[in-house]
Amino acid sequence: MRVIFFFCLFSIIYSQSGLEIAKLINERSIPISMSSKISMTLTNSKNKTRKSVMISKSTNRNKYQLIWVLEPKSDRGMSFLKKEHSDQNHEMRIWLPAYNKIRRINANRMSDSFMGSDLSYEDMTSRSLSENNYFRLEDEIIEGVSYYVLKVIPKAEFRNSYGMHKIWVSKEDLYIVKENSFDKKNKLKKMKTFFYTKIENYFVVSKIFVNDIQKNHTTNLNIENIKVDSDIDSDLFQEKSLKRIPSY
Amino acid sequence: MMAMLPENMKSKLSWDSVQSEFGSTESIFVAFGKKNENIFNQKALSHLWELTNALQKIDEVEKVTSISSIPKIESADGFLEIVPLQPKSELSESQIDNIVKYLNDNSSIKKRSVSRNDNYFNVLVKPTDNIPHNILRDAVVQVGDSLLSKNYEIHYGGTAYITGSVPGMIKKDISMLLFIGLALMSIVLLFNIRNLFAVGMIFSIIIQSLLVMSGMMGWITHFTGSENFYFTIINSSMPIILLTIANSDGVHFVTKFFKEMRKTGDAHQSVSEAMDTLLIPIFLTSITTIAAFLALYFAPIKQLMGYGICLSIGILYAFILSLTFLPAALSLKKWELKSLAISRASFTENLMKAFGQVVVSKPKNILLIGFVTMLIGIAGLNKLVVDVNIANFFKEDTEFRNSIDFIDEQMTGTMDIRVRVEGNLKDPLALYEIEKIQTLLEKNSSVTTSFSIADALKQMHRILMDDDPEFDVIPEEKQKVSNLLLMYSMSGDYDDLSSMVDYNYNTGLITALSSVMSTDQIISFVKEIEYFVSKLKEVKNVSVTGMAVVIRDLIFLVIESSVLSISFSMLIICVITSLFFRSLTWGFLSIVPLAAAVLINFGFMGISGIYLSHVTALLSSVIIGVGVDFSIHYIYQYKRLSKEASSDKISKNVINEVGYPIILDSVSNMSFGALLFSSFIPVQYVGGLMVFAMFSTSFGTLTLLASIVHLLKKNKLIGSKIS
Repeated sequence: MRVIFFFCLFSIIYSQSGLEIAKLINERSIPISMSSKISMTLTNSKNKTRKSVMISKSTNRNKYQLIWVLEPKSDRGMSFLKKEHSDQNHEMRIWLPAYNKIRRINANRMSDSFMGSDLSYEDMTSRSLSENNYFRLEDEIIEGVSYYVLKVIPKAEFRNSYGMHKIWVSKEDLYIVKENSFDKKNKLKKMKTFFYTKIENYFVVSKIFVNDIQKNHTTNLNIENIKVDSDIDSDLFQEKSLKRIPSY
Repeated sequence: MMAMLPENMKSKLSWDSVQSEFGSTESIFVAFGKKNENIFNQKALSHLWELTNALQKIDEVEKVTSISSIPKIESADGFLEIVPLQPKSELSESQIDNIVKYLNDNSSIKKRSVSRNDNYFNVLVKPTDNIPHNILRDAVVQVGDSLLSKNYEIHYGGTAYITGSVPGMIKKDISMLLFIGLALMSIVLLFNIRNLFAVGMIFSIIIQSLLVMSGMMGWITHFTGSENFYFTIINSSMPIILLTIANSDGVHFVTKFFKEMRKTGDAHQSVSEAMDTLLIPIFLTSITTIAAFLALYFAPIKQLMGYGICLSIGILYAFILSLTFLPAALSLKKWELKSLAISRASFTENLMKAFGQVVVSKPKNILLIGFVTMLIGIAGLNKLVVDVNIANFFKEDTEFRNSIDFIDEQMTGTMDIRVRVEGNLKDPLALYEIEKIQTLLEKNSSVTTSFSIADALKQMHRILMDDDPEFDVIPEEKQKVSNLLLMYSMSGDYDDLSSMVDYNYNTGLITALSSVMSTDQIISFVKEIEYFVSKLKEVKNVSVTGMAVVIRDLIFLVIESSVLSISFSMLIICVITSLFFRSLTWGFLSIVPLAAAVLINFGFMGISGIYLSHVTALLSSVIIGVGVDFSIHYIYQYKRLSKEASSDKISKNVINEVGYPIILDSVSNMSFGALLFSSFIPVQYVGGLMVFAMFSTSFGTLTLLASIVHLLKKNKLIGSKIS
């Protein structure tokens, strides 16, 4: 019976299009809310590094997120708020404590870097199915693990700084393990690698490594002390919260 | 220039660390525009865009900085945003006005991008690490000329352009002048020796020695990979020195051969007699000259090590050929005894006979003249000016010099001074000290502009505070500085600030650009900077480097190398000749003409205003190389002939014997006075000094040495037995 079930599932999945696989990815089970401590290491072409420590809180399946900088001391208190909306432009704000200023990040600045890292604001938001075209490429087996390989091309009518993405999705649990992003001239720009850890019933990202090939610069994010589905109030995700680092 | 500095020298270490932390500081400037025509127009900006992109595509280029590539910091919603200053190739009038306004608001950026009267754009081309500048220079000039030459005046400049252009230009210039020098030399030799075959044999020795020396230089470089054996500007005098020494061996042998032929009419016997007479002195002159050049191994300028070793190989080969190939060739030839070369002494040979009589009859007067000349030389030493500034190598009103002058007068200048500082560069106190250093730098009238992370932060601060000029200052809090830098990193490129501060904000670089300074100005200015930075508290491990500092250190090295090599060479020569003649007195006498010639030459340089540079300083090598030959030939023949003649006649006989070859050698070497017509000022000086050096060494030997030896002998203060 089990064999027949898996055979049927295999047949269904095998015949799936790029879009269908993308839908499956979006529908997989992820925590409603999450809090964590993030250590970020930036490394330049001369192998010099900058380190920072942040705390992150998110809810609404990561649609709302707040990040506060704890270290370095000189940047302590800087914070970032993201609110993704399906019916309007996403909201993004940054708080600069020394200048007592909150900056709203415009839609046309989505390619700007998050805290000087190789992740852009665009990289930090969910990829909308309706704003991209998904094409399934030939599956790949890497080190004994099977992957779907998808080509994601942003639709021309939506603002995007990339020309194309190529993503590798684990067939077993539908997690993106690798993403190569190309610029508008179709030159490889960034290589992102994602690592997961199992917490409760979820596989959550525990490490992200981004290599900006064109700038020869890397970002290594280590996500620790992850707590899932803890009680995080949606009211927290407001401008005023940017100015106060929560206890962690 | 950098290859000449010892690895452990402070400015070299600073230079290396600046290059590794901040990338190459040696750049090429490309300035284009039209005199008396404002460059801010659609067409010119479009050409600038095209040029910037084309230069960026060159493999040897790391970064191109121009209005088309520099970022513009602007305020958006009260925050910093970094956008391109020139967003695209084709601009509207209002976009051009915006660029002009931004540049007027940010004068430091404007000074680096546009000429003083807005007639020319400036493009700064930064090379990738360890790229030979001649390759970069050719690529940049090819791109610049192909895109701009039809519509604009183009000027190239910058240290990478000069160092990339000069070796090729010097090579071309010297090759042509050497050819003329050789032609003149052959005319002088033919006029005196009056036999084509003999002159051809001398030239054959010269050419073979040159080939062996150059070839060995290549092989040693191939096997060792050492930069000390590269052929650089400092090595440009090597062919001339070897040429004079190889010529000397050949001339002595050939003139002796013809002298004997006139007596015996037998070629074999003449060759045999010439070998008997000249084997020892030629061996001795070669061994002392080789020892003198090998002494360069200890010179502080490490490239002189390769110089000395390769030249020694050439001298050794010339010695071997003079005593094997040349005698063999002369003895194999069937000689026509009625030929002019054999039947009659030349005009110069006869003249030397009369000259010998004068020396013997008035030795005290000659000695007095010699001493007075030396005293004048010593007095001139105080006036000797050292200048190794490569920009001063070119005559005024030449195309190359005009370009350098243009960059100096209209742009930011050719020279640079870099001050590397360490400290917490997010701390306003450290930034204030950087600002103070810049104030000091900009006080100097030659400095056109300076820039550092402090300038970038002031600009960010002002723009963030609604472009209010009151906020064009360093923020007073560490966190504000940090916030500004973080904001910049959000929308700017990491590399935008990388030429001013390291990634961790712990090391900074202050750059001052200046027009050409005199060596004296450089020395006092660097001293002033070093004194000032020694008192600073917040920034630590401050080191001053840049082309100006390198030039200063090179000056001291040139002087040290010259004094050391001259002193050491003379000591070695004195020791060898003392051992050979078994007399310390003869050892000292052998270096008398040499010492006199060195003093007179450098004194003459002081009196006539000829700069001592790393090129002209090597003239001491020519003096040593040739001068020692003359005195050894004289002393050896003096001791040899003293067995055959009475003490009254010895000096006259010796001058008869060696005077002619010495003068012929000297006059033929004076052909390199052709170098006076070089486009390069130091090479011109070498040409003029070559003539002077030949005159002073040959006449020093035949007057000063001859009269001293004559008087010592007359007063029985020296013996004359040969060992």
